[in-house]
Amino acid sequence: MKKLIVLLLLTSLAFSAYKVTDILRFIVPTGWPTPAYDFTQNPLSTDKIALGSALFYDAILSRDSTISCATCHSPYSAFTHIDHPFSHGIDNKIGTRNAPALMNLAWSTSFMWDGAIKHLDMQALAPMSNPDEMDESIKQVVSKLQHNKRYPILFFKAFSDSTITGEHTLKAISQFMLTLVSCNAKYDSVLRKEASFTEQETNGYRLFRANCASCHKEPLFTNNQFENNGLSVDTSLHDMGRMRITQDSANYLQFKVPSLRNIQFSYPYMHDGRFTRLQQVLNHYTNGITRSKTLSKPLQEPIVLSSNEKVDIIAFLYTLTDKTFLNNERFAYPKNILQ
Amino acid sequence: MRIPIFLLLLASTTLMSAQTTRIIPLRFIPTYDRNHTLTQGIHLQDSSFYSNDKDSIEIRTLKFYISGIQLNMDSDVVWKETNSYHLIDASNEQSLSVPLTIPIGIDFKRIIFNLGIDSATNVMGVQGGDLDPMRGMYWTWQSGYINFKMEGNSPLCKTRHHAFEFHIGGYHCPYNTFQCVSLPDHKAKEGINIYILLKELLSTIDLARTNQIMTPGKEALWISKEVKKCFTTFLDVR
Ligand code: HEC
Ligand code: HEC
Repeated sequence: MKKLIVLLLLTSLAFSAYKVTDILRFIVPTGWPTPAYDFTQNPLSTDKIALGSALFYDAILSRDSTISCATCHSPYSAFTHIDHPFSHGIDNKIGTRNAPALMNLAWSTSFMWDGAIKHLDMQALAPMSNPDEMDESIKQVVSKLQHNKRYPILFFKAFSDSTITGEHTLKAISQFMLTLVSCNAKYDSVLRKEASFTEQETNGYRLFRANCASCHKEPLFTNNQFENNGLSVDTSLHDMGRMRITQDSANYLQFKVPSLRNIQFSYPYMHDGRFTRLQQVLNHYTNGITRSKTLSKPLQEPIVLSSNEKVDIIAFLYTLTDKTFLNNERFAYPKNILQ
Repeated sequence: MRIPIFLLLLASTTLMSAQTTRIIPLRFIPTYDRNHTLTQGIHLQDSSFYSNDKDSIEIRTLKFYISGIQLNMDSDVVWKETNSYHLIDASNEQSLSVPLTIPIGIDFKRIIFNLGIDSATNVMGVQGGDLDPMRGMYWTWQSGYINFKMEGNSPLCKTRHHAFEFHIGGYHCPYNTFQCVSLPDHKAKEGINIYILLKELLSTIDLARTNQIMTPGKEALWISKEVKKCFTTFLDVR
């Protein structure tokens, strides 16, 4: 009899601790490298992703409930702040850097233009606490979520625990961001031999490989390194780039190489959003390079391109536009949860 | 009626297994200097004032991370705590005592721990418990834990409300503020007492000039080395 009770107790314990959630597998597109994100520490599930998307779109994360992550990272512009050289935050304060597009974050080895953040999970803390962005502390956010009628249930569904923690909040936001994979541009179809480039695009691709691909490395179109691509210093901002983090003068004016996927829609360009058109970017690479000690090697020899060749490169860059990414319903405002 | 019998059984088995280990409390006692007879240490809640020879200092916040606790017999490690990360917060009595569960029969002469969080953990994904960023010991504008936080006021500081703030951290070389502390044990009956002599730190800082360190770098590294010197197991009451 005693044995039976012990057995019963054990099974009921096991039962309550284990909740059947569908663990999702993260699919790596063929030919892509292994993700940098360690999914074993935060296994994807439908409920966690749904919770993450609610948090991403909910202004509850800001002090006065006016700003959500999506305010600056809009799904229609590859999750960047379209048309804003600097992101606008709380009380209409304006930041000093352009919001980068959010995609393929599972492969990133650092975040922010200067790599200040080393792990995706910690990224959301930065805008939440920035007095110019959302101006709220994670402790305060957790307490607001705990007292909200919606969230304790969502957290319970996701983590089998209705007591909300900073860890679970950040893990859920990461999960949503990890699903933002863009791998269905025309370029990808061409590589999969499902489509072919036009003559102009083919020429643009050849020129891109010769002049740009060492930093904007395929298939992610970034080598995840910090480089100085010869932008002149904006003396009103004096952004030192990577050096701010390392305090090493060898990193002066180095910025993280951004991906060029969906570049057609993620203007304005560069860390300070100084260019609005790709034509200006190409002109920078041929005629605008500012020489300095830290200028990256591939740019020390001038890049020579005719105006036709520039147009060809831009035609190629347009093949990096992924319509299925930009219009993906799964990434949209989660109406069913938030309203 | 059967359930109590079963519970009794369960209780006795846990008791039996408990007998193979003992609990030694590792107590952190923030105090000002060796003359300070308060073995209880300072209570931040009471906003105690301390005379720094000529000036008063009020400490409002004192929080730091302890990690990788181990016990040594001379140079041999005899016991190591697994998953050893603790946030010590002087305003939270409970956090000041870390219970170490040690197998019976283990003898040791030194207590060794790290002040701060190792670099691998700094770049890992988000963690829970004492490492949850919710605890306010994680920088937000860049990755990394704040290893040591001390905030307070002194008339010497020509800042708003005469405030000083030291948020010491950074895990990158050459400004890695992760420090190892190794102290002799005194075989006290009540456990291991570690005093934190804040004067050691406060007397080396010229608060009129240095009252805000909030980023990793040279100054943070220097402070972390001074903080390390504050820890002692030996309190000589004159
Ligand atoms: C006020 C505008 C604003 C808000 C709100 C905002 N961000 Fe950002 N985000 C930015 C800017 C600007 C940067 C780049 C900052 C830098 O590099 O210093 C950035 C960078 C990022 C990056 C790094 C991308 C990369 O590739 O390096 C991620 C990820 C990110 N934000 C996610 C979020 C999340 C999640 C939220 C909500 C919790 C959020 N952001 C809220 C403006 C914003
Ligand atoms: C030495 C490495 C390097 C090379 C070579 C290089 N880039 Fe860049 N590129 C960068 C870096 C770094 C940035 C970000 C600079 C910044 O914002 O400070 C950048 C930014 C860009 C941007 C803006 C992206 C955005 O989201 O704002 C575009 C577009 C671009 N590069 C296109 C090109 C093209 C086209 C070429 C070839 C003609 C090229 N790059 C060659 C390093 C490089």
